[in-house]
Amino acid sequence: MKEILLKTEKLSKSFSNGGFMQHVLKNIDLQLYKGDFTVIMGASGAGKSTLLYALSGMDTPTLGMITFGNKVISDLSQDGLAVFRREHCGFVFQQIYLIDGMSVMDNVLSAGLLVSRDKRALIRRAKELFAAVDIGEETQLKFPAQISGGEAQRVGIVRALINSPEILFADEPTGALNSKTGLDVLDTLTKFNEQGQSVVMVTHDMRSARRGNRILYLKDGVILGECDLGRYSHKDAGRHEKLSEFLQRMGW
Amino acid sequence: MRKSFMIARSNMRKSKGQTAAIIVLILIAALMLNLWLMLSTDYKANFNRYHDKLNAEHVTLSISGNEEEKREFLLQTFEKDNHIAQYCLDNCMHMTGSFPYNGGRMNGWFVFLEKEKALTRLIGKAEIVEEGAFASGVYLPMLYKSDDIVVGETIEISIGSSKVTYTVCGFFNSVMMGSHNCALTELILTEDKYAELEMAGYAPQAALCSVRLKDKSENLNYEALLKSTITERYPDIIMTSNCYDIVTQSRYISQMICSGIMSAMAFFVLLIALVVIISNIINYIQVNMKNLGALKAAGYTSGQLIGALLLQFLGLTMLVAMVGAGLSYCLFPAVNTMMIAQTGIPYEIHFLPIPFVSSLGILGGVVSVAVWYASRRIKKIEPITALRCGVQTHNFKRNYVPFEKTKVPLHFALALKTTLSGMKYNVTVCITMLVLSLVVVFSGLMTENVIMDMTPFLNLIVGETADSCINIQVEMEEDFLEEMDADERVEKAYLYHSLNVSHVDGAELMATLCDDFSKVNNPNVVFEGRFPKYDNEIAIAAKYAKEHGFKVGDEIEITANGKLEKYLICGFTQITNNLGRDCLFTRAGYERLGSLANTSYYINLENGTDIDEFNLEMKEKFEGGVNTTINVVETIEGAAGVYVSLMTIIVIAILVLSAIIIAFVLYLLVRTMLNNKKHDYGIMKALGFTTGQLILQTAMSFMPAIILASFIGLIGCSFIINPLTALFLQGLGIVKCTFKIPIDFIVAAGIGLVVFAFVTVCLLALKIREIAPRALLFGE
Ligand SMILES: Nc1ncnc2c1ncn2[C@@H]1O[C@H](COP(=O)(O)OP(=O)(O)O)[C@@H](O)[C@H]1O
Ligand SMILES: [Mg+2]
Repeated sequence: MKEILLKTEKLSKSFSNGGFMQHVLKNIDLQLYKGDFTVIMGASGAGKSTLLYALSGMDTPTLGMITFGNKVISDLSQDGLAVFRREHCGFVFQQIYLIDGMSVMDNVLSAGLLVSRDKRALIRRAKELFAAVDIGEETQLKFPAQISGGEAQRVGIVRALINSPEILFADEPTGALNSKTGLDVLDTLTKFNEQGQSVVMVTHDMRSARRGNRILYLKDGVILGECDLGRYSHKDAGRHEKLSEFLQRMGW
Repeated sequence: MRKSFMIARSNMRKSKGQTAAIIVLILIAALMLNLWLMLSTDYKANFNRYHDKLNAEHVTLSISGNEEEKREFLLQTFEKDNHIAQYCLDNCMHMTGSFPYNGGRMNGWFVFLEKEKALTRLIGKAEIVEEGAFASGVYLPMLYKSDDIVVGETIEISIGSSKVTYTVCGFFNSVMMGSHNCALTELILTEDKYAELEMAGYAPQAALCSVRLKDKSENLNYEALLKSTITERYPDIIMTSNCYDIVTQSRYISQMICSGIMSAMAFFVLLIALVVIISNIINYIQVNMKNLGALKAAGYTSGQLIGALLLQFLGLTMLVAMVGAGLSYCLFPAVNTMMIAQTGIPYEIHFLPIPFVSSLGILGGVVSVAVWYASRRIKKIEPITALRCGVQTHNFKRNYVPFEKTKVPLHFALALKTTLSGMKYNVTVCITMLVLSLVVVFSGLMTENVIMDMTPFLNLIVGETADSCINIQVEMEEDFLEEMDADERVEKAYLYHSLNVSHVDGAELMATLCDDFSKVNNPNVVFEGRFPKYDNEIAIAAKYAKEHGFKVGDEIEITANGKLEKYLICGFTQITNNLGRDCLFTRAGYERLGSLANTSYYINLENGTDIDEFNLEMKEKFEGGVNTTINVVETIEGAAGVYVSLMTIIVIAILVLSAIIIAFVLYLLVRTMLNNKKHDYGIMKALGFTTGQLILQTAMSFMPAIILASFIGLIGCSFIINPLTALFLQGLGIVKCTFKIPIDFIVAAGIGLVVFAFVTVCLLALKIREIAPRALLFGE
């Protein structure tokens, strides 16, 4: 039996758009497991990002409950959520979102220092992570505007992992990258997942989705179905068919 | 042009907050500028208008006694003199006296004139400005119209040692004898009351000479010349006089101070407005680099783009300046009322085109230069580069405060990064804080030296003060001094007597004698060198010395009573009474030139002694030997009380204005900063920074500039404030100002300023609450 990391009960999220309510997420009951590479798929506008942001405490649900471990996070205050995020979550964004005004290294450390006071250990971990994602010393001293998109996204991953979060959330991490650099980023995520990092990734791209071992399909605010792909393996030929077949069933 | 106009309009719409800020700052600047120009140009001109209108005198002289022989002598003197354009000689009564005014007493030399005569004199006639239906009583100069002194009420006037009570019939305007700092104060009596007073004999008969000169600029010298001509003939005579220069100066001191402060404030507000405009433009260019590049690519020239900015700011400035200058006319009546209470001369508010146009011109010119200066860099934008690379809002020259190396805690380090990469914010903050420091130090100085305890101010403006001044006949001197020694109430009594001497080849000087200058209450009168000690020494006014190139140690020739003696200059004085034509002698020093017929003594009394009672007692004790007694404290407080209230108003006004300005500038900066940092703050929130942490970071990022500038500003201003004040009062003969700097007040104010700024930034930064990490969802 897998260990439950995060659980939602009747999670709903609505936005009022010019007077009328748009129900983006509807009564979602969901469990995320430790060590999984969970992929949330769905068409554009299905509510994937909304779900991801609700799960990660970036946003509060309109109704329902979210439990992390045995802690209810859905009724935390804004500041409570901030503390929750910094301690337990890592984020990788489609638009990467590094802070322009500071060096790559400082981008990473500013997230790290928020949680840990042991600067020596932090720097050591940052260097390890940089090495793991293949970012050299020189690049670490550059500004975000001076490095390529692929490099920037890998820096984004390092920043997300600096505090060794229980879950890494990624919202279309390859969306802004070309296919070659996108692959690098996916490989990086896969590698960390293999080392035990739980990952939740949103994507509407099959090639990315294939990396997950558990695929959820979101449509009109409900989880229409899910599919167990098993651990990603480079050579697994049947994996692609299995996923296409699932997506076809979901009406992709 | 139309295209420029469209760009300008869209620019303004995009930065509403900044536009509002610029509007307010320009509005205040225009208001103060126009007010200052009106005060400094037309206010004094108004004095001259009245001087002409009432055909007022250049030199006025009141001489005790009006015997036929004396009149004849005076008439002949005037007739012979070729300086004189016009003169008149009238009968009056002349005596020292006092009446209650503004909670104190107004003391001075009163000149009583009969109404009909006062209103029809050839020279220096009075003009009734308010009148009730009373046939019998007194008319007072309009300056004295106050809560207690109104038409129809009675007023008790002390004349010498007697008291009379009159009904106040009305108020009049007299240019040369209409205020307590004119040396002579005119009081007009109705025919019956004049006759009554004549009968009572409280005030001796006197001759009032009024003279208009061919060359007005000679007035100060002519006054002295006339006085010495008369004393030569009648050595033992009581004579009071004034002249045009002294009267204008003394009646306009507060107007001068007020307009000086107004100009300084206008300058500072304008400076801040310029800084805001410049930083606005620099920011605009940075943010809109891409758009500007696109516009250039589409065929706009740099000139057109700069023109658009110029149009935007200049148009706005002119429009707002016009409103501001217009508003100053709404504020003018209040300032006018305050000023009239000082000058005592009516002023009719009317539109003044020259200050108006000058205000607009100054503002327009300065703003244009600032816009041109800030927008020069548009020329450097290459359309292609701008389009391709887009904006680089940060300069990537340096990664300030790298976390790897620094020991500074995270939030401080982040704040420091912001501080160091946002130099234009720092410049704005620094300039604002420097200006405010000056304001704070000035307010502190005025509070300490004028409002709380005006002794330092009086010491500077009035020179020597004591409790009582008694003038006695020389024959009585020994008895008098014995009495002073014996009287327990007397702390000290010292000779402090003034009379006129002449500098050979120079002007007439007012000489003050003291038997021992170590006894004087205000040792600061001599601010360089020392007081005279020996009979060959003299201390002269610094202003006069400067004009004639004298240095300490030089020799100066002085003449009086037909004798000429040489003296060594041992020190420089600053006394404002005679516009810097003063000198000090020891008694022995003066007696080389002549002997004294009567002497004035300054007396310090024990605290709590009734000065009037003491004076009366002395007068009775030395029947006939005491010529005049003056309650110095009362005289000065009556005259100086208005300065205190004026200063209080000014200090409150500039403090309020500064608080508004600092809040305003910070509002502007925080807004711009938050706009620029919205994105970064969104990311940081997503990473787990709380709102509180980000607010603190924002506030702290302003602190280095605020603390540094306040620190330097307060210390610097503490050093320059005295010279600066002296510069303000230069015209009065002040060369060096030694006001006490209230260090505790300044330290407290500095801390207050920093705390106020910190709290204000925190409050303004509360907007960070609205930045939600979820905004990142949309890739904003
Ligand atoms: N803050 C918001 N206010 C209003 N509507 C929103 C907001 N956030 C998301 N939505 C709406 O919710 C729907 C789902 O959005 P999103 O979760 O971004 O979809 P996806 O990531 O699957 O493309 C969209 O129709 C979007 O317009
Ligand atoms: Mg999305």
